[in-house]
Amino acid sequence: MVEHVEHRSGLVRTVLGLVPAQELGVVLIHESLLSVMPGAEYAPEIDMDKSKIFDILHRKLTGFRRSGGNTIVDHRGMFHGRDVKLYETLSKTTGVHIIASTGLGPERMLSGYFTTPQTHPPTPWPAEQFAGLFIKEVMEGIVVPRVERSGPAGIVTSIATQSGIVQIEENLFRGCAQTGMATGVPVSLQYGANALKDLEMVLSEGIEPHRVIIGGLDRLDAVKRKEAFAVAERGAYVALDHVGWSTREGYIDDRERARLIAELFEKGLGERVLISTNAVGCAKGHETKDIDFNYLLVQFVPILLQAGVLNEEIRILLEENPQRVLAVDAPATVKRETAAGSKQK
Amino acid sequence: MGKVNTVLGPIASEDLGITAMHEHIGFGLPGCDLDTQWWKKPEEAFDVTIQKLRRFREHDGKTFVDCTGIGNGRDIEYFQVLSRRTGVNIVAVTGFVAGDSALPYFRNKTVEYLTNLFIHEITVGIDGTSAKAGAVKVGVSREGLSELDQRIYRAAARAAVKTGVPIITHLSTEPELAIDIFESEGLPLNRVLMGHADVGQDADEERDKMIASRGGYVGFDTIGYDKEMENAPYWSRPRQDRVKHFLSFLEKGFLERAVISADANCCALGWPGLKGHSVNYLFEEFIPDLRKAGVAEDVFEQLLVRTPANFLTMQEPSLKANPLSNNDIGCVPIIKS
Ligand SMILES: [Zn+2]
Repeated sequence: MVEHVEHRSGLVRTVLGLVPAQELGVVLIHESLLSVMPGAEYAPEIDMDKSKIFDILHRKLTGFRRSGGNTIVDHRGMFHGRDVKLYETLSKTTGVHIIASTGLGPERMLSGYFTTPQTHPPTPWPAEQFAGLFIKEVMEGIVVPRVERSGPAGIVTSIATQSGIVQIEENLFRGCAQTGMATGVPVSLQYGANALKDLEMVLSEGIEPHRVIIGGLDRLDAVKRKEAFAVAERGAYVALDHVGWSTREGYIDDRERARLIAELFEKGLGERVLISTNAVGCAKGHETKDIDFNYLLVQFVPILLQAGVLNEEIRILLEENPQRVLAVDAPATVKRETAAGSKQK
Repeated sequence: MGKVNTVLGPIASEDLGITAMHEHIGFGLPGCDLDTQWWKKPEEAFDVTIQKLRRFREHDGKTFVDCTGIGNGRDIEYFQVLSRRTGVNIVAVTGFVAGDSALPYFRNKTVEYLTNLFIHEITVGIDGTSAKAGAVKVGVSREGLSELDQRIYRAAARAAVKTGVPIITHLSTEPELAIDIFESEGLPLNRVLMGHADVGQDADEERDKMIASRGGYVGFDTIGYDKEMENAPYWSRPRQDRVKHFLSFLEKGFLERAVISADANCCALGWPGLKGHSVNYLFEEFIPDLRKAGVAEDVFEQLLVRTPANFLTMQEPSLKANPLSNNDIGCVPIIKS
């Protein structure tokens, strides 16, 4: 059982341990490394060869590193293929800092343990129960299911159904807020149908706005409603996290995205903006957009410059803002647990 | 007589011996592995599981049908080791305990996909092993027989027709709808065990009679979930109510359509389990209860040996296509046995 205490803020929980925020360099805050639709691992047609998965991710992370990237946040939560042991090895072998997330959602990606417990009636999990699960992943380490706890989660995430947040997702969002408050890690949420409304619901838990990231704000509907401005003015972080995606997929294209970013800086909201590509390094059991981790640095940064965004502003977007939001807010104890060491029930 | 798939390969039906038809090495709802409150030391889980299986052997138990579906803790390599170390035949199933415990990847799949998945696990192997499933598990979701449940039932029926293995259901609620699906796919009801008919809140003697008189098997297979037990789960029931329910079924002349099992976990995965409950309750509590009620010894031979062998023996695969099964024009073959 390893136990140590953070002595100051400004530290980030990576899969290899605590790292000072300013050492994170260029950060992609909303990406997925291994993304497995729950259950795909049991399907005979899905190839789960771990050496191939490693090769793909290693190649993509190395490409990211060569383009000037330093840190990647895997924001897919605890039940979508997350393989923290693989991430540790990838981080060691590529030099890229990896921050793993805890969290669950959207509803359609949940499983029976959370939605239909063996009670009568089968009441879905409330916020406090989700918070209990997530807090442990930050404070005691990420679970390697039924084996051990590993390094800590550095962020808590959830996703709402795009047609509108449903009850169990509201429980998840509130549970994430409680986790953020208890542990100091940031809370990253993909809104449902209305970003500001979802944000207010989360803030009603008492979490400070600057600990909350609202993702998906480059969705067509959000841009039309100017939600990015409203969310930033409320003090939360705005993630324009579909760089490289376009109208066919329901998002504004890169030129419009660059203009939106320039406008946010003009309005003095630049320090609340985060950008990322929502790329999937290796997808199993689901379709995904074909985009590399280096797309943002190689393709999108020139578009930003063309749109009049200054080099200094780009540095703020890619380094200062993500470093600030990822830095853990409060001191907290980190300890480990293994299957052999956990309490017998 | 025929053969049955076990996790260590097919065996002769004659070799099944005393068989518990609906049991679990360990069951948990998908996702429970993420919650450390249920984690156990692997050596202790192994130890308690071996002890229960060994006691099952001491009762002359020979075959243990594990009804844990895909994603609910079914662990084929573990079953193989347990079988080798204890001498108990373990029959694994393909399928799902119910639609609401199917993982997201499988929820939107077509009947054709699910059929092929089940056939793959019955004829090729489970989870990359060569261990083949001996039955298909289907079941009713918590809110009732859902659209997904019905897709799984239909796929299971097609896989059963194609491969000759039987179907075991979790719950017997909404039996008419379930039976319609089986029959519309050309699966005779004597290939179906309608399970958990003895669950307290669902008990319905008219339904039992209907299933049995149409040739189906009726599962009294949550035996031991007695209200008298400490921390009994919601599906438990007063001990003597179950005994009476079962005796009443036998009195109607349905001995050959009756199945008994305990639905016990050797070592529960994502829930506390029921302390003190195991497959051995059948021998140590239930059969003595029946003896006390005057049930003759040869009845037990039927319940524990002959019926399981009849049911589990793989039928000649029916390779004939069933072109009517893709539409619902009401032109369904009614098969009576
Ligand atoms: Zn069962």
